[in-house]
Amino acid sequence: MKTLKILLLSFALTLGAVAITVYSGFVNVAADEPHSDLVYLLLEEVRINSIAKAAKSIEVPDLTDPELLLTGGADYEYMCSSCHLKPGQHESDLSLGLYPQPPNLAISSQTDTANDTDNFEATARNNFWVIKHGIKASGMPAWGKTHDDQRIWAMVAFLNQLPSLTPMQYQVLTAID
Amino acid sequence: MKSKIYKTTSKFALVLIPTLTLSLSAIAHDPSLHVKKAEKADCSKMDHSKMNMKDPVAMAMMKKCKKQAKKDHKAMDHSNMEHSKNEDNKKLKKDHQ
Ligand code: HEC
Repeated sequence: MKTLKILLLSFALTLGAVAITVYSGFVNVAADEPHSDLVYLLLEEVRINSIAKAAKSIEVPDLTDPELLLTGGADYEYMCSSCHLKPGQHESDLSLGLYPQPPNLAISSQTDTANDTDNFEATARNNFWVIKHGIKASGMPAWGKTHDDQRIWAMVAFLNQLPSLTPMQYQVLTAID
Repeated sequence: MKSKIYKTTSKFALVLIPTLTLSLSAIAHDPSLHVKKAEKADCSKMDHSKMNMKDPVAMAMMKKCKKQAKKDHKAMDHSNMEHSKNEDNKKLKKDHQ
């Protein structure tokens, strides 16, 4: 009987806390106010694990065909560079204004251990999944609604090379012909 | 009566016109960043001697520049050129013989 009371009480308290959070308006949704470190860490963990799980069984096709860099490059320039930047560019309205901030895909991420095949495959399939499905409650759109898998793999192939490109190489690869 | 309205309006105008003019010209950053120009590939700076032809990036760049060169050539309207007119004429004459 006592345990039941305690259970009911804690349930009521939790419900109260949730109700206060939802209805009080205390939660700040402004994009120019960062999350607290704890919230940021939790959300990041959720995103990383969610993407890894969802992308686990995706087969990575052969991405070495140079033609992929041309299709993927032109698409990247027109659909992604405004948020994810390009060689020689360090900020844009969207890269500064969005929160969570779009990562700069023109520089290699520090977490990547380059030249590791497993890692290469995992990055490729995660990128494919993210481009196709987007990320909820962030600025990252789901491009799979309007682009077939072939187009998306071409962008994945392009992203592999992007951090190594000079501004001149980028210009040639991404120009419309 | 009339002059009062006139006075108020001109007061508004005095404030509004400079405000509008100033705010329209307020530029946060270079507007050229807003314009996406359909740029052609700038192939003139490629240094072929430094390119490794096994590198997919180099291969893709070569492909792009070749495609573009071909297209530039096609963009010329050969049909209006003297030599093609003459050829057409010759053909026509032949057909009628
Ligand atoms: C409107 C801005 C915007 C556009 C346009 C956009 N993205 Fe994103 N993208 C984001 C944001 C914001 C994130 C980070 C989301 C997060 O951390 O929750 C992101 C994340 C990503 C990631 C995951 C990066 C990582 O390491 O976790 C990839 C890959 C990506 N985008 C690729 C693309 C590609 C390819 C395109 C073009 C087809 C594109 N994005 C267009 C905003 C954008």
